[in-house]
Amino acid sequence: MADDTVKTTPVTTENGKKFLWSFQPKSGKDAGESIVRNFLLHWFPAKVAERSLSWSYSFYLGTITFALFLILVITGIVLMFLYVPSVERAYQSVKDIENVVSFGWFIRAMHRNATHLMVIFIFLHMVRVFLTAGYKNGLGSGQLRPVNWIIGVVLLLVTLFLAFTGYLLPWDQLAFWAVTVGTDIARTIPLIGDEVRYILIGGHEIDQNTLIRFYVLHCFFLPLLTVILIVYHFWRIRKDGGLASYDTVVNAQDKIREKNGGGKKTYSLLGITKGRTVEVETTTRNEESITVNSVPNLIRRVGLVMLATFVFVAVLSLFLHAPLEEPANPDITPNPAKAPWYFLWLQELVTITTFNLFGITFDGGFIGGVLIPGVLLVFLCVWPFMDKSSKETTGVWFTKDRWRQNLVFILICFAIILLTIIGTYMRGPFWEFYLPWESWPDLPGIL
Amino acid sequence: MRNKYSKDTFVLYSIGFLGLAATLFLFVKEQTPEWKNYQKEFIAYVDNHLGPERSAGIETGIHQLWVKDLNRVDRCVTCHIGYNWEGLENAPHPFRTHPRKIFEHHPVEEYGCTICHGGQGFALTEREAHGFIEDWHEPLLGRELEQLYRITDRNVLLQINCNTCHRYDRQTPGADYINLAKDVVREKNCRACHQINERGGVLGPDLTAAGEKPPEQKDFSRVGRPMTAFNWHLAHYNDPRMITPESLMPSFGFTYRERVALTMLTLSWRDVDLPVRYYPQTTEVLADRPTPEEIERERMMREGEGAFFVEQQCFLCHSVNVFNVFAATDIAPDLSRSAENVRRRLGISVEQFLKNPIGTMAAVLGTQISLTDEEKVRAAELLEQANEKYYELQRSAELNNQ
Amino acid sequence: MKLFRREFLNKLGLFSIIALFAGQLYAWVRSLFPNVTYGRARRVRVGHPDAIPDGITFLRDQRLYVFRERNEFYAISAVCTHLGCTVNQVSLTRPRTVEIRGEQKEIRTEFHCPCHGSRFYGEGTNFAGPAPRSLPWVHLEIAPEDGSLIADLDRTVERNTKLIV
Repeated sequence: MADDTVKTTPVTTENGKKFLWSFQPKSGKDAGESIVRNFLLHWFPAKVAERSLSWSYSFYLGTITFALFLILVITGIVLMFLYVPSVERAYQSVKDIENVVSFGWFIRAMHRNATHLMVIFIFLHMVRVFLTAGYKNGLGSGQLRPVNWIIGVVLLLVTLFLAFTGYLLPWDQLAFWAVTVGTDIARTIPLIGDEVRYILIGGHEIDQNTLIRFYVLHCFFLPLLTVILIVYHFWRIRKDGGLASYDTVVNAQDKIREKNGGGKKTYSLLGITKGRTVEVETTTRNEESITVNSVPNLIRRVGLVMLATFVFVAVLSLFLHAPLEEPANPDITPNPAKAPWYFLWLQELVTITTFNLFGITFDGGFIGGVLIPGVLLVFLCVWPFMDKSSKETTGVWFTKDRWRQNLVFILICFAIILLTIIGTYMRGPFWEFYLPWESWPDLPGIL
Repeated sequence: MRNKYSKDTFVLYSIGFLGLAATLFLFVKEQTPEWKNYQKEFIAYVDNHLGPERSAGIETGIHQLWVKDLNRVDRCVTCHIGYNWEGLENAPHPFRTHPRKIFEHHPVEEYGCTICHGGQGFALTEREAHGFIEDWHEPLLGRELEQLYRITDRNVLLQINCNTCHRYDRQTPGADYINLAKDVVREKNCRACHQINERGGVLGPDLTAAGEKPPEQKDFSRVGRPMTAFNWHLAHYNDPRMITPESLMPSFGFTYRERVALTMLTLSWRDVDLPVRYYPQTTEVLADRPTPEEIERERMMREGEGAFFVEQQCFLCHSVNVFNVFAATDIAPDLSRSAENVRRRLGISVEQFLKNPIGTMAAVLGTQISLTDEEKVRAAELLEQANEKYYELQRSAELNNQ
Repeated sequence: MKLFRREFLNKLGLFSIIALFAGQLYAWVRSLFPNVTYGRARRVRVGHPDAIPDGITFLRDQRLYVFRERNEFYAISAVCTHLGCTVNQVSLTRPRTVEIRGEQKEIRTEFHCPCHGSRFYGEGTNFAGPAPRSLPWVHLEIAPEDGSLIADLDRTVERNTKLIV
């Protein structure tokens, strides 16, 4: 860098290095130091492509999802001190959190709102990565983006399972019957369905056995798994050269140089030894025009997004409180009994794939609950390996090359969203179909 | 270094500011719960009406009655602080004193509030605590519901909960509607067709747990508003065949009051899991009462010469044969000749012994039985008399034998 | 001037963020301090003063001995200061006079601990056995609501503090 002289300040160590890293680095070297000497920040590269910083590329959806996860962990830890995972005490402990614990209602509301948002945003993040072909390898060598995509899919499933296990913990009617419906769908898996349900529930009926195993899954095992997967997910991104948008920018630079008469480099990206990423090449080629210092530009943006996520969840939680219905009662089934909203598309799918034709009853539980989601999942995982579009499409929104796959993906997403909407707003007692403006029949009470 | 990304700083700080405002709003909301107002008003009311000395000791904060045995926690007393105050019998709600008589047998620490009154004990706002919300099915059994069902008397509906425990009483003082219903059940002989507590006929359904039946399992097609089990029963008791055409049950021509009473009785028949001591019949059924013979024997002992030894409880261990006082066991020597025995064995009089006991008697007279000095003197006198009487009886027995 | 304003706004912004997190942290930590407890009541209703007999009344659940001498009331904890057993009351067949802290006192009652043999005089002072301290005197007050006697098990008072009703 131009200014290599080290500035001495009042706070320096012996060899003149600054004691504290700075958010306002005075030089490129300073900026690099800030990254390298900081535990939390060292995941970021010292310099990052401007294209990666762009709002309109990634919308920072992954960052938001991660921020939501952190919110869930923190509020979750506080709640763990207050909640009791016993069928006799669980409901009362949640009532106490709502009514008696200082800020309890708020912390619980944040936890629940963050959950719903995380499910939404992890889904949106997946959609964004698909539509920009971020799951594809680009121009670097040794990239394993398809693997990272699969890790992401696993993270999606783990997130859904985390949300599901947490749903049971209040032990109210909503929780109990949602889990009943959910685990009954598991039963429809061919051959092993009953076994799967038996292990999931820890017995034949949903009772203390289920509550404790869901609690341990929810509070310890699944978060640990998530953290391990996230760590790999992030590491893999760096290894692959950063966000996929970077690959094409480097390629564009090459093309411009060629056009301007500069020779092609005698070494090309494709010929470098394995293990050296796009980014390494870029720094050695000194591409000042397409990169900026991570500190403060990227850090500030990421910090902004995380703070905005936190504030959004906090403001939302001031007004949208977590519901709590009556205590769980195995003898009374609420009408209708619905799975949590992120599984409602499955419940709806099960309904519409159950039908009679020519005297044969088609088992919707299997078709809608296992077969179709199973097929979708498999396609989701293997698609990166089946995508034959050119490398130029990596990291670009809506390329012509990929218009067909993008369209199919978007249609499937809309179908899932539509089924979710139907399941939420248009299914009433006895799972009858009601248009949103039609009122549901009254259900009787005791007094 | 200012570049095009520097605008982010402004956005960042704006968001921070917004977040701070939200946090401050959160703090305000947390510091101003509904119950604090009620407590403030209560203190002011007591200050005005009963004087500052009494209002000085009022503790603010969340109050709760935790009844472990019934697994209930009732926070009604956070707003209804005056429930146990003398002098607030005419205060407006929620400050009014609770009627005292019921507390004699139902101390509030052992029962809480909601077990009788219904409502939601967990809650700390009026709406949630009184239970007229979607997610709580045990509403307050009070004026609102009584108005809804056009019941003109007061304190009626909570008798449903009385009968949850007092189910097996023939009559329960204070539960006039329930008592009326039980009379009707007896007079009209409902058991002719219905089983109630394992006795009765089988023409109609078993009513033992009739209060447990979920309302969704009833047919409301011919029942008007409100759509509740209570209303269903009201209509059904009026004209069973109109509500259930296939029914064999005749119409009994009940008055409205009788119908309300019967509905309340029916709904009170629920499965409950109470600790044994809460059932009022426990003291009768499980009591270890003495038999008439035992009572008569003790009466005779108490009215005879040995009355002193019965009153002072000596007879728990010691018999005094000559006075017809009999102990239940043989663990202690008969006292008839104790005067001479003590003299012979210890060399002191029995009065001295009582004043300076040794061995077991030292323990007994130190803890279980307290005798004043006069009582000890009296005891010694009686024992000397007993001793004399022993020899008299012996002499007369010998005379009779001769 | 513009620089000053920018610096000021920067500081304000930074302050907002720090204050925001400080506030949230306070909320999270505050939530872990219970506002209500589930356990045995610490402020116990002993009964109406008129209903308490002269002499010594033992409250088993609260582990408390309540004394009434005409219109004077006081309460002594029954929890042995050695290892926490409940001490038994022993009425002396003959009162004896002992010296406690330089004063001659007549005692009619003693408390004996059944666990390790500690002994206390009726006014709480330990005189035998392993107990290191006297039995504490417990705070008594008259409840403002109905005039009944309330013992606050969490508050101890000086020896010989009596409530006069």
